[in-house]
Amino acid sequence: MNASFNHPVLIVVVPLLFAALCPIIGLIRRSLVVWLALFGTACTSFLALSLIGRVTPGNDLSYHLGGWEPPWGIEIRIDTFGLLMVCVISTLGILLVLYSWKYMERELPANRLSYYYTLLMLIYTAMLGFSITGDIFNMFVFMEIFAITSYALVAVTGEKRALRAAFKYLLMGATSSVCVLLAITFLYSVTGSLNMLDISNTLAELSPDYIRVALAALVFFITGFSVKAALFPVHVWLPEAHSIAPSPVSALLSALVIKMGVFGIFRILFTVYGPGFANETANWKSLNEVVAWAAALSILAGAAFAIAQKDLKLMIAYSSISHIGYIVLGICLLSYHGTAGGFYNVLAHAMGKASFFLVAGCFLYKKGFRRIEDLKGLGRSMPISSGAFALASLSVIGLPPSAGFIAKWNILWGCLDSRKYLFAGVVLLGSVLAAVYCLKVVYYLFFTGPRMRDTRIEEAPAAMYVPAALLSLGTLFFGIFSGLILPSLNSASRILMIR
Amino acid sequence: MSREAISILPILVIFMPWVSLIGAAVFGKRKPAAARAVYVGGTAATLLLIVPMFPRALEGLVIRKHLAGSGPGISLALRVDTMGFYFALLLAVMWLLAVIYSLGYIHGRQTRYYCFLALNFSFCLGVAFSANMFTLFVFYELMSLFTYPLIIHDETEVARKAGFKYLAYSIPAGAVLLAGVILQFFYGDTLAFLGRSTIHLSQVGKPILLVIFSIYMLGFGVKACIMPLHGWVPDAHPAAPAPASALLSGVILKVGIFGIVRVVYDVYGVELLEALGVSLWMLIVAGITIITASLFAMSQDDLKRRLAYSSVAQVSYIVLGLFLLSPAGAVGGLLHIAHHAFMKGTLFLCSGVIMHETGKRNISEMEGIGKKLPLTMGAFTVASLGMIGIPLTAGFITKWELGVGALQAHRPYFIAVLLISSLLNAVYFLPIVYAAFFKGDSKQAGFPRNETSKKMLVPVLAAGAFVIILGVFVTVPGLPYSLVKVVVGSVF
Repeated sequence: MNASFNHPVLIVVVPLLFAALCPIIGLIRRSLVVWLALFGTACTSFLALSLIGRVTPGNDLSYHLGGWEPPWGIEIRIDTFGLLMVCVISTLGILLVLYSWKYMERELPANRLSYYYTLLMLIYTAMLGFSITGDIFNMFVFMEIFAITSYALVAVTGEKRALRAAFKYLLMGATSSVCVLLAITFLYSVTGSLNMLDISNTLAELSPDYIRVALAALVFFITGFSVKAALFPVHVWLPEAHSIAPSPVSALLSALVIKMGVFGIFRILFTVYGPGFANETANWKSLNEVVAWAAALSILAGAAFAIAQKDLKLMIAYSSISHIGYIVLGICLLSYHGTAGGFYNVLAHAMGKASFFLVAGCFLYKKGFRRIEDLKGLGRSMPISSGAFALASLSVIGLPPSAGFIAKWNILWGCLDSRKYLFAGVVLLGSVLAAVYCLKVVYYLFFTGPRMRDTRIEEAPAAMYVPAALLSLGTLFFGIFSGLILPSLNSASRILMIR
Repeated sequence: MSREAISILPILVIFMPWVSLIGAAVFGKRKPAAARAVYVGGTAATLLLIVPMFPRALEGLVIRKHLAGSGPGISLALRVDTMGFYFALLLAVMWLLAVIYSLGYIHGRQTRYYCFLALNFSFCLGVAFSANMFTLFVFYELMSLFTYPLIIHDETEVARKAGFKYLAYSIPAGAVLLAGVILQFFYGDTLAFLGRSTIHLSQVGKPILLVIFSIYMLGFGVKACIMPLHGWVPDAHPAAPAPASALLSGVILKVGIFGIVRVVYDVYGVELLEALGVSLWMLIVAGITIITASLFAMSQDDLKRRLAYSSVAQVSYIVLGLFLLSPAGAVGGLLHIAHHAFMKGTLFLCSGVIMHETGKRNISEMEGIGKKLPLTMGAFTVASLGMIGIPLTAGFITKWELGVGALQAHRPYFIAVLLISSLLNAVYFLPIVYAAFFKGDSKQAGFPRNETSKKMLVPVLAAGAFVIILGVFVTVPGLPYSLVKVVVGSVF
């Protein structure tokens, strides 16, 4: 076995290694930990990005852990969607660590900093593993790791409010984990396998006696992952957890962790079960329809709640619920344009929403402002952060030429393709509502408050505004050059629908 | 099929206005004189880059350039055809006048003002040069959003309300428009503008065609202020600084019209619209808009509000001309895009001079003002006569062509609409002129003769001169008529 052959598993092993190194190095020299974490995420990102040419639609990269053939051993299987997730997670990872450098110094006592970076590296490990594993139990294990680390990250400051939010998150998260575990045992009892492809093959010719069990498992899976994805009406844990957590953690949770729930739904619905499972297409389709309705409700409810918020971070958190709705709706439209659009929104939302939270963090760091009304005239004193917010809001609203618009375009196309005109209306209404809550902030930032000449520029540290600005520019870049990613997402989705 | 060429020129044109942005960033407040030179220079350079495309545009040669995209639907591409060239030329001339005028008029928040002026210029040019509905939508939405800072430039309570109203109309309109684009993409052949119908009755069916058409009219109608979608216009125009109002009314409303032109000629095509029978409805709506808005205009005392309502009425002339679906009607409508831009541009710039020099907004306070500002009010008079449609002004040419168009389309009763509108125009413009020159005692009113600064006077007089030039030298190549003839010739 040569090094390049082990490449896929290194994506999980490298950040895990760094997670273990962080507290040890922290004991020796605290100031080194952040550089170590940066180096670790950079290595991971390099490993992930270098896979780009090697995974093509319909041509998955399969790796057998320990050399054990599936279905006996654990398989790592990277398809186009997994690759997208891995690249987004690892690249965003670098920026979040960079941002945490200055921000967390103030939030946490110095002796706890190295543990923070350990948690950060651990959660990356788990999310990366979750995205590329081909084994359903392995998936559960990674899910538990990122869930538990995210409870810890929400509570990392140790404030009372944070502990309460984390506990609420923990209650809902643990329930959802139980649902998923239950579903796995159900599925194992009827298929006798844990490998996704193997289960999928068995399910296709499942004997009629077992179909009810398989369907029950499917429902449990969807319920469990819906909580993780914070779909309406099981979103209640999200606003508090995301708004009270330190800003880089909020960005991490909103941009990446809830996407894991979505990715779980996607994996179960399409990779494991698939349209043709045991001639149960009708049931499978109606379940898709139900999830699509929940997603549509999420879009509208999330946006409506976001409009009502006075606290910036709460507003952003509710907006995440709305955007998760877009992604799930796109995936559940059963049109390959919709799926591609949904996954494009994974990218667009990861960049846009992370930028939002990071900018909110800049305001908190520099001025201590949380309330939207306090942001008056900040556009003049903090031009780069505010500009990043304005640029990212184009993408969050879905205005051209941002990445969010490309995603919305494809989701709309999917709605027409599957003749669901009502959902198309929901998508459009959702973007109008998004315009209300985003432009309100932009308005306060740029068009109120004292005149330019009366204000001094007081920008947050460069390590904080640079990641935010880069993410905002990213939304613009991937909006204009959508040709870099969209065609392969399209063809990968098409293969998925045919199968 | 028109011949095609590939050139980098359209991209250069679109990004040339950004020079002004860089100027603002580099010189900004430190070297105001240099910054001002860059603002004017950037705009003038854009105009100079547009002009070389003239011979090709006159031949009907199409210039194409693909920018970015990812397959069907999502494609950013540029295309300069005669219509696009005509619109871009108009944009550049109007913008140059407005920027020069702004140098004298705008005193606060200059950096922001010129930045957004330049961005809007760039995006409007993008609309003009769009090769497909997707690109047009992208630039249209950007333009729509970036007009907001111009409207609320003064940051007064009135301006904020106007800006809010503007967004409340524009953003839902954008969503509606997106629905139109995606539906057209789904049911039509292509989003590209090919100078012919790209959506077919036999494939799609009448109901869906009607739905898409109405969605487009709703989406573009907000910018083109077709009643009842005009609500933002009478608030936004008075709130914006005068040069921005001149641009809003002169060209930004026309961007909506430009979208409708694309829908009529490049999406549906004349035959299909005739088969659908929607043109009569649009004519009726346009007719109602023309008469009603003129009546509203009469009752306004605020000069800029009166001008704004007048714009609502005048823009519907263009809609009327387009939907007569006859060659002369189309010529009249398309000509009016430029003619109205210069006439209303002159009027708004004049209103700005009046406000700047005397601080007066209300018509009732303007008695004898012609004695203080003879040149400005002279230009105002010329443009008013143009609005009424007196021969030798640009307005007359429009009305003549529209009248001929109505006869060609066998709808002679729309001539009555034109005549009533002319009468109403006379009723609400001539009293201003009369009061300015013949009422009031100059000594009592305390108006010594004191024209405004050259920076503001030159654009006013230039725009006023265009009203005469376009009315007298109609057929000179390069003036709107020659270009519009090519556009209409390729359609009918």
